[in-house]
Amino acid sequence: MRSYEGKIKQAVTYSLIGIFLIWVLFFFYWALTNSFKPRLETFNPGSLIPFLHFTPTLDSWILLFFRQMENLPLAVVNSIIVSLGTTGIVLVLGTMAAYSLSRFEFKLLKNKNLVIWFLSQRVLPPVVILVPFFMILMRLHLLDTRLGLILTYVTFSLPFGIVIMRDVFKDIPLELEEAGLVDGASDFQIFYKICLPLVKNGLIATAIIVFAFCWNEALFAVSLTSSEAQTLPVYILAARKTRGVHFGIAGANTIVAIAPPVILILFIQKYLVRGLTLGAVKG
Amino acid sequence: MKKRPLQYFFILPATVWVLVFTVYPLIYVVRISFSNYQLGTTDLFFVGFRNYLDNFKDATFWNSLRVTLLYVLIAVTAQVTLGLYFAWILNKNLKGSRIFRTIFTSPLFVAPVAVGYLGITIFYETGGPVNYFLSFLGVHVPWLSDRYFALISVILLDIWEWTPFIFIILLAALQSIPEDIYEAALLDVSSNSQLFWYISLPLITPALVIAFLLKLIESFKLFGLPFALTAGGPANATEVYSILTYRKSMAYFDFSHGAALAIVLLFVVMVCVVQFFRIIRERY
Repeated sequence: MRSYEGKIKQAVTYSLIGIFLIWVLFFFYWALTNSFKPRLETFNPGSLIPFLHFTPTLDSWILLFFRQMENLPLAVVNSIIVSLGTTGIVLVLGTMAAYSLSRFEFKLLKNKNLVIWFLSQRVLPPVVILVPFFMILMRLHLLDTRLGLILTYVTFSLPFGIVIMRDVFKDIPLELEEAGLVDGASDFQIFYKICLPLVKNGLIATAIIVFAFCWNEALFAVSLTSSEAQTLPVYILAARKTRGVHFGIAGANTIVAIAPPVILILFIQKYLVRGLTLGAVKG
Repeated sequence: MKKRPLQYFFILPATVWVLVFTVYPLIYVVRISFSNYQLGTTDLFFVGFRNYLDNFKDATFWNSLRVTLLYVLIAVTAQVTLGLYFAWILNKNLKGSRIFRTIFTSPLFVAPVAVGYLGITIFYETGGPVNYFLSFLGVHVPWLSDRYFALISVILLDIWEWTPFIFIILLAALQSIPEDIYEAALLDVSSNSQLFWYISLPLITPALVIAFLLKLIESFKLFGLPFALTAGGPANATEVYSILTYRKSMAYFDFSHGAALAIVLLFVVMVCVVQFFRIIRERY
C-alpha cells in the first residue's frame, strides 16, 4: 500500500514538472518553429511539429539578415556595445565600492546607511527619472548615442552590482587579507591579488545579470534613442508596426532578442538566487 | 575594520555617480512638476499644483491607475501562489534538477518586449495556438481586441515571465530547511499539507516576504510587455502607469505633466512599501 502511494505521488510530481516544462518551453518552441516555417504555414495554427506538419525553411532568417529591409544588424551591434560597456563600467566601479563598503568603516555615513541608500534605488521606478535623463542627455548632446545609453544604464545597474559584490566580499575571511598585510602588501595589492581572484564567480554572476538587464531594457532605449543608437528592444517595438504581423519574422526576431541572456544564465546558476534578491536570500 | 585612504578612493566614483545621476534628476523632476515645461516653452515659471490637478481631472490618469493596480494585485498574487506551489512540489532532489532550474529561470531573462511581441502571435485571435486549442472546446476568445481580455493577456504573459522569479527564491528557501525537522514532525503529523502549512511555510516566511516585496516593486515598473503587446491596449485598456507617463513625456513632450505623473507614482510606490513594512513589523 505504501509503495503504491509513493508511486502515485511520484507520477503526479513528474507530470506537474512536465506541465511546468511545457508551459515554460512552449514560448521558445513557438518562436523557433515559426522562424523556420514557410510563410503560408504560419497561418495554420495546427502545424506545430517540424517535418511532420511542415518542411522547415530559412526564408524568414534570410529576409531578416540579407534583405536588409530592417535594422536588425544595427540593433544587435548597438545592443552588444551598450550592454558590454555598461557591464564593464559597473564591474569596475561597483566592485571597488563594494570592497570599500565591506571592509572599511566610514565615519560620516554609517556603512549600513550607505547600503540601504544603494538598495533604495531599486524601489525607484525608472519612469520617474525618464524626463530628467532626457533633459540631461539633450544638454550633453548625447541623445541617440550609445554613450548616453551606457551612462543611463550604469546608473540603474550600479547599486545592484554594489550590493551583490559587497555580499560576496563579506564571505571572504579577513585572515586571508591579514596574511597579505603580514607579507607587506599594500591595500591595493590585497584587493587586486587576493580578493579579486576569490570573487571571480560573483563577478561573473553580476556581469551576466547586468548584461541581461541592459540587453532587455526597453523604456529608456525607446525614449533616448531614435535611429543611430537603437538597441534590440527598440527595433522589436518598431517591427511591430510594419505591415501586419509576419509570424516568421516575429519568431526570428524573438530568437535573436532572447538568445544571449538565456544562454548566459546557464553559467550563473549558483549565484542566481543571491543575485536576484540582492543577497537577502542565499541560494 | 580599518581606515585607510583607499576606502575613500574606492567608494568615491560610485557614490558620485549615483548622486549626480539619481539625486539630481529626482530634484529636477520635482521642479519640473511644479513648472510649465513643455517642448517649445521659452518662458518657464512656477505654476504650483496645476499639473497635479490637471492630471487628477484627466480620465486617462485614473484609467491607468486602475489598470496598474488591477495588474499588480492579480499578477503578484498569482505569481506568488504559483511560485510557492511549484516550489513545494519540486522540493525534492530529482535527477537533473540543475537543468530544471536553468530552464525554469529562463523566462525571467527574456526581454519583456520580446514576450509581448511574440505574445501577439501566440494570442493572435484567428491563427494563434491558444485560440486553436480553445476551438476544440468550442470557445473563441478575443484576446487582444477586448478590453478585459487584453489585460488578461498581459497578466498571463507576465505570470509566465515572473513566476520563475518567485519559484527559485522559494525553492532555495525550502531547500535550506534541514531534513531533521521534517523527520521530527512526521512523528506527530502524517499529511503532506500539514507539513506544508505548519512546518515549511512558517520557516520560509522571511524569503516569502522578500520575494513578495521585490515582485511588488518590480510590478510598478511594468512597461515593455504591454507596450509591445498592445501599445496601451484597445482604447487604453492595458495602458499601465509607465506607458501613460512615457506617452505624456516622450510622445506629447508635455514634460511638466509627465513629471507630475512620475512624482505621483513615486509616492504610491513608497506608500506601498512603507505599508508593507508596517504590516510585517506588526505581525513579527
